[in-house]
Amino acid sequence: MAGTRQVMTAVILRQQEVLPGHFLMTLSCTPGMATPPSPGQFVMIRRMGEEHPFLFRPFSIYFSSFPRGEDRLDLFYRVAGRGTEIFSRMAKGEKLAIIGPLGRGFTVFPEKKTLLLAGGGMGIAPLYCLAAALRDRLEKGGGSVTAYFGCRNADFLPVLKKFAPLCSSLRISTDDGSYGFKGTVVELIRSDLHQYDPAGTVIYGCGPRPMLKSLSALGRKYGMAGQVSVEERMACGVGACLGCAVPVKTADGDTAYVRVCREGPVFDFDAFQG
Amino acid sequence: MTDGPMTNLSVSIGGGLTLKNPVMTASGTFGYGDIYASYLDLSLLGAVVVKGLSLKPRMGNPPPRIMETPSGMLNAVGLQNIGVEAFIEEKLPFLRSFQVPVIVNIFGESVEEYGEVAGILDRIEGIHALEVNISCPNIKRGGITFGTDPSAAAEVTRRVKEATRLPVIVKLTPNVTDIGAIARRVEEAGADAISLINTLRGMSVDVEKYVPHLAVVTGGLSGPAIRPVALRMVWEVRQAVSLPIIGIGGIANARDALEFLIVGASAVQVGTANFINPRATLEVLEGLRSFMERKGIVDIGEIIGSLRIRLEEER
Repeated sequence: MAGTRQVMTAVILRQQEVLPGHFLMTLSCTPGMATPPSPGQFVMIRRMGEEHPFLFRPFSIYFSSFPRGEDRLDLFYRVAGRGTEIFSRMAKGEKLAIIGPLGRGFTVFPEKKTLLLAGGGMGIAPLYCLAAALRDRLEKGGGSVTAYFGCRNADFLPVLKKFAPLCSSLRISTDDGSYGFKGTVVELIRSDLHQYDPAGTVIYGCGPRPMLKSLSALGRKYGMAGQVSVEERMACGVGACLGCAVPVKTADGDTAYVRVCREGPVFDFDAFQG
Repeated sequence: MTDGPMTNLSVSIGGGLTLKNPVMTASGTFGYGDIYASYLDLSLLGAVVVKGLSLKPRMGNPPPRIMETPSGMLNAVGLQNIGVEAFIEEKLPFLRSFQVPVIVNIFGESVEEYGEVAGILDRIEGIHALEVNISCPNIKRGGITFGTDPSAAAEVTRRVKEATRLPVIVKLTPNVTDIGAIARRVEEAGADAISLINTLRGMSVDVEKYVPHLAVVTGGLSGPAIRPVALRMVWEVRQAVSLPIIGIGGIANARDALEFLIVGASAVQVGTANFINPRATLEVLEGLRSFMERKGIVDIGEIIGSLRIRLEEER
């Protein structure tokens, strides 16, 4: 029984500092991935042939495409630690080791016609992938996609505006009120909630843990289905190390630790415990 | 990947168990064999050592559980596992489908529990040896780690030996002052082999938030950072006992594995390196073959314990 999955090589095609400290890195992977990535999935990347950083780092997929049979991936990230700092200094042509796509992504429910995206800060990354995948459905008149995004201030707007062509409407909140609604993105969604029929609506969230906690609590309270994409430190990314555990509520009401890399990173509101 | 007619990589690791080569996976880094089976052919390995099992399933520690450190990582998974019964029913059938010896890592919170787990596995087809993790707290004796107390280490070894006919490998903790003394007691108690080292206790702090990086404060350090310590301890244990030794600690390539073999280990386990390179075990194996070819070594036994120490010159 020969191995079917492998560590692949990715070449950096482009590394763009979209905003200070925020980078969009485009990779070309060879050989192509075993399965095409679906929205909400992630990849593990590591500098090829270097000892530091020691472990692979997980990145959610911001966008994927397949021009001329190659796999092209866009990763959107903020410099937050040693790993991302090293990645941000890598230039076009440099090589990365990459494993993926990994994990369980977002579920698209055909019966739900009203789709709400809820992103906090860098949480927009997997939601962009999702919005791009939903574009066809939206164009064929299959309901609406409303994107709700929260950020610290108006500086983040150029990134958020990229969602405009992919969504029916874009609703923005800032912590300081420098643009749009002043407050958190969950408060903004709550203020709009009367517009939506709970049975026909689904919310897809990604952002800081406290935001996901209040978002899933909101969904549960109003009987709206939803999913959140969770971040956790990882060593292997494939389910062996058990390092990325998060508590979830099981079907029989107990709490269990499950792996973000395998059972996640996307969890239903009902399972997610913050 | 077939062995040349002239190269013998097979090693004996005690209790009558011979492996076709000396490279195995380290417990806790390879799941139950299922995780990495799509990345490499398990049947090429000397053995697969599965994640530690206890009598009942264990939930494990709260997150965060891991942190990267210089050339290594800290983990505090907390021995999360599905329990011995679920392993037998859900995981073992898959492992049995490969032509690879399965070594089951076990642990308990009391001497009795070690014996019970060993007894359950004794009756099961497709298990080739037990590896006993003695780096856990003895609940009945105020939580002192079995492996740091020579008599507790011996007691656990004896109980497991009584409970099974399988070869018993005792995995030592490095968090002791005199590992040779522990090894001697484990040997006297009837162990068939000794594996070492388990992780070294460590800690790391987020200075911005004044909090430890791990939820349970301390964890086990693994990876290349611990290799020199592991090697020194294998050397000490080699001088203390005559049992076969399995070397563990930061092994990522053939050169690393060779260090352990030369010092006196009969086999090695590859652990944290699997996370960085799922095929690390096979690359170690390939590297051992080419080393032997380059040196004109026919039998890997010629390498084991071949360390030359120039004491004469020092005098």
